[in-house]
Amino acid sequence: MIELLVYLFLFLALVFNLMGLIGILLFPDPYTRLQASSTCSTTAVVSVFIAVMIDAGLSAITGKVFVITLFFFVSSPVGAHIIAHYAWNMGIVPWRKLRKSRPEDSSHG
Amino acid sequence: MTTAIAFDLIGYLFIASSAVALYRVLWGPTIPDRLLGLNVVSAQILAIIVLYAAKEKLHVYLDVALVYDIFGFVGILALTRFLGKRQRKGNPI
Amino acid sequence: MRVPFKMKASFKWKLVRILFTTVWLFGGWLLYTGSFEPVSLGLGVVASFLVAIATYDLFIAEHEAAKKGLLVRIHYGILYLLYLLAQMYLSSFAVLFNILRGNINPRIVHFRTRLHSDLARALLATSITLTPGTIAIDLQEDHLIVHWLDAKTTHSKYAGTLIKGKMETLLSRVFL
Repeated sequence: MIELLVYLFLFLALVFNLMGLIGILLFPDPYTRLQASSTCSTTAVVSVFIAVMIDAGLSAITGKVFVITLFFFVSSPVGAHIIAHYAWNMGIVPWRKLRKSRPEDSSHG
Repeated sequence: MTTAIAFDLIGYLFIASSAVALYRVLWGPTIPDRLLGLNVVSAQILAIIVLYAAKEKLHVYLDVALVYDIFGFVGILALTRFLGKRQRKGNPI
Repeated sequence: MRVPFKMKASFKWKLVRILFTTVWLFGGWLLYTGSFEPVSLGLGVVASFLVAIATYDLFIAEHEAAKKGLLVRIHYGILYLLYLLAQMYLSSFAVLFNILRGNINPRIVHFRTRLHSDLARALLATSITLTPGTIAIDLQEDHLIVHWLDAKTTHSKYAGTLIKGKMETLLSRVFL
């Protein structure tokens, strides 16, 4: 039963990692790539941490991995925010979907 | 333990995906792309270290993982500060 | 007659800030060394006190010291962590379907937050960035600029309620 949970979380990590990589390779501008990389680098890694915590049971490894998870909960979004803020200050304009039916919509903003 | 094999496989997957993310570091068109690739690679390597520590039951590797996490974050911070300062001076990047 | 009194009050607040930082650092020491031997405990107290003297000014800003916003209700904190985890998985699945269909509609939205203390606002911005699909680009006082991967609206208030969800009300309960 417990091993099944471990496999479930490892499978989630695999799926999110592959999809995040596809997003990183295909998306059109740095902001959207950053969004895709947050699934790939945050959700997949946290899934791995949860799987390791379930697998280790109540031991010293669980406590240490829990501390690492708390640190990761702070450090990963702040890193993404720093990169987005830097791109924003650099003056990179976010990509927007063009609407063919209303051409005046894409001219402003 | 049967989960050790699964841990191994996911570790290899993370190695492969960090190699793919290096594409953005090397050929990213803008600087935020390169930083993003570095962020992804550092997170994946953190996961590999934790997986290896859990597989081999080595507590020391978890200390290494914590310090690696902090240093990855500080590295991104230092790089953006440095590049922002260079940009404000007007140097081409 | 008033000047020594003021100096005394500021000194008292400085002491409170140093002690508070020491307690936090010592908690981290306990969590990470994991041993309760007297030598380790004494070393931890001394080390965290020394670090607290050097860094209390960065840890707790002076105008934040008198507020009660630094104390945490533990049970609401755990509830918030679980809610954040669930929200992370839900929005990960949303982003996953966006990637699979190749159908994205990225927008920049601006909205405000009702939270008062700096720590709570920073935590709200961090949570918004942690959930995939939204990234907080800038935080000025109570004004947030957010990049939204699959924008359903650009109306400020409605976008705010969609993105923040229950996180804001939970956070306002976490801090006293």
